[in-house]
Amino acid sequence: MKLNRDVQAYPLSSKMLKEDFVIQSEIRRILIRTNINYTKFNFGTVKGVVYLRGLFQISHHRSDEDEEKIKELTVKTLYSFEKKVRSTPGVSDVIFQFINWRKERGQWVPIEPKKKKEEDEEKKDPNL
Amino acid sequence: MRRKRIPIYKRILNEIEQEIRIHPDYADLHNQLGLLLMGEKELERAEGNFLEAIRLNRKYGEAILNLGYLYIQMKRWKEAEKIFFSEAKRHPEDGLLHYVLGILYLQTGRRKKGITRIRKAIQNHPAYGDYDQKKGIGKRGAFHIDQKTEKVIKKISLNHHYAQFHNFVGLYLAKKGKSIQAIREMKKAARLKPDEFLFHANLGTVYYHQGTYRKAIQEYKKALKIDPLFGMGYANLSYIYGLVRRTGEALRYMEKAVQINPKYADLHYNLALLYSDRKRYREAVTELKKALRINPNYLFARINLGVLYEDQKKWKEAEREYRRILQITPEDEHVRRRLERIS
Repeated sequence: MKLNRDVQAYPLSSKMLKEDFVIQSEIRRILIRTNINYTKFNFGTVKGVVYLRGLFQISHHRSDEDEEKIKELTVKTLYSFEKKVRSTPGVSDVIFQFINWRKERGQWVPIEPKKKKEEDEEKKDPNL
Repeated sequence: MRRKRIPIYKRILNEIEQEIRIHPDYADLHNQLGLLLMGEKELERAEGNFLEAIRLNRKYGEAILNLGYLYIQMKRWKEAEKIFFSEAKRHPEDGLLHYVLGILYLQTGRRKKGITRIRKAIQNHPAYGDYDQKKGIGKRGAFHIDQKTEKVIKKISLNHHYAQFHNFVGLYLAKKGKSIQAIREMKKAARLKPDEFLFHANLGTVYYHQGTYRKAIQEYKKALKIDPLFGMGYANLSYIYGLVRRTGEALRYMEKAVQINPKYADLHYNLALLYSDRKRYREAVTELKKALRINPNYLFARINLGVLYEDQKKWKEAEREYRRILQITPEDEHVRRRLERIS
C-alpha cells in the first residue's frame, strides 16, 4: 500500500478525537444561529473533518441593498463562519466546496459564473 | 377578549400588505393578512383575504377554518356551520371540529344534532367533557342551552383565532431573529390552545435556535406527547441531546425519527454517525446504504461509507466508494488523496 505524506494535513487516522454526531450537531447549531441561508448547501462530518458543499448565501439582508454591500457582508460572514467551525471541539479540518465562493491564499473570493463556465470548458478541452 | 394594540402587530400587518402588492397570488400571505386584520377588528377585510386565499388554493384547510371562526365572530352561524360541517366530514378524528359544530347546532336550536356532535367530540377528545362541565353546558351527560352557549362558542372561536395569530406573529419574529419576542408570542398561543402540538413544536424550535436547550427539550416532548408521529420532533430532540453530549438519548430519538420518516436520507445519515461513534460499524454501514439508496448523490454518506470500510480494512469496498465520489465530483482532491493512499 502506498502512503502519501502530503495527506497528513487531512487526518486519516481511524482514531477519533470527538464524536462526529456531536460535531454535526454543533455545525447545525452554528448555522441556525447565523445569517447564513443554509437551505442551499449540505454538510457532513467524517472522522472530525467537516465538509460543506453547495451554494453559500446570506439571509436577512435588505432587498434594496446593493451588490457590493451584500458581497462585503458575505465575506465577513464566511470568515466568521469558518472561524467558528474550525474552533469547534473535535474538528480537525474543514473542506469548503462551495460552488460560488472559494478560499485563495487565505482570502475568500467569489467564483464568477462566467469564470466557472470557462474553467469547465478548459477541463473538457485539454488542448487549451 | 381584548388584545393590546402592540405596534409590532401593526408593523407586521404593513409588511404583509407590502408583500401582497408584490405577490398578489400567494395564498399564504392572504391568510396571514386575514389573521392580522381579525386582530385589528377589521372583520370584513379579513373575510375578503381568507376568501382570496381559498380562491387561490381551494384545499387550504387553515384558511377555510379561519374563515369559519371569523363567521362565528360575525355571528354568521349558517356560513360557519357549512364550513365546520364539511371540515368535520373531512377530518372525522378531529374532536374540536365536532365540538364547534355541536355548539353551532345547539346555538341554532337543533338540540339532538348538537348533542350527538358534542358526544362525538368528547369520545375523540375526553377533555371537552370536562370543559363542558366547567362552562355549565353539560352536566352528567345532559346538555343545557342558555346564554352561556353563545359565550362558549365565541370563546372557542376567539381562542382559536388569537392562538393562530400569536403563533404567526411568533414565527414572523423568529424569522427576523427576534427570539425573545417570538417566544413571548408563541407562549401566548400555547396558553390559548395547550393541546395544539404545532405551538409547542414551534416553541421548541425557537428555544433550540436560541440555545435554551432544557426548555427546547420540554416543549418538543410536550409536542410529541400530543402527536407521537411528529418525526422531526424526535430528530430535533436528538440534535439537542447531541449538543449537550447526551448521545445515548440522541441515539434513541434518532432511531425513532428514522422509524417514523424512513424516507429521509439525512436522518439515516445522522443515525449512521451515532452508530459509527459507538463503533457499531455494521449498523452504521446499513444506515449509510439506506441514505444512499434514497439519494445516490449524497456525497457525505458515501465518504463516510468509504472511511468506515477503511476502518474495517475493506479496501476494495472503500476504493469503490471513493471512485464513485470522483465520478460525481472529479475535483474532490481530498477523496482523490484517500483513494491514492489505499490503491
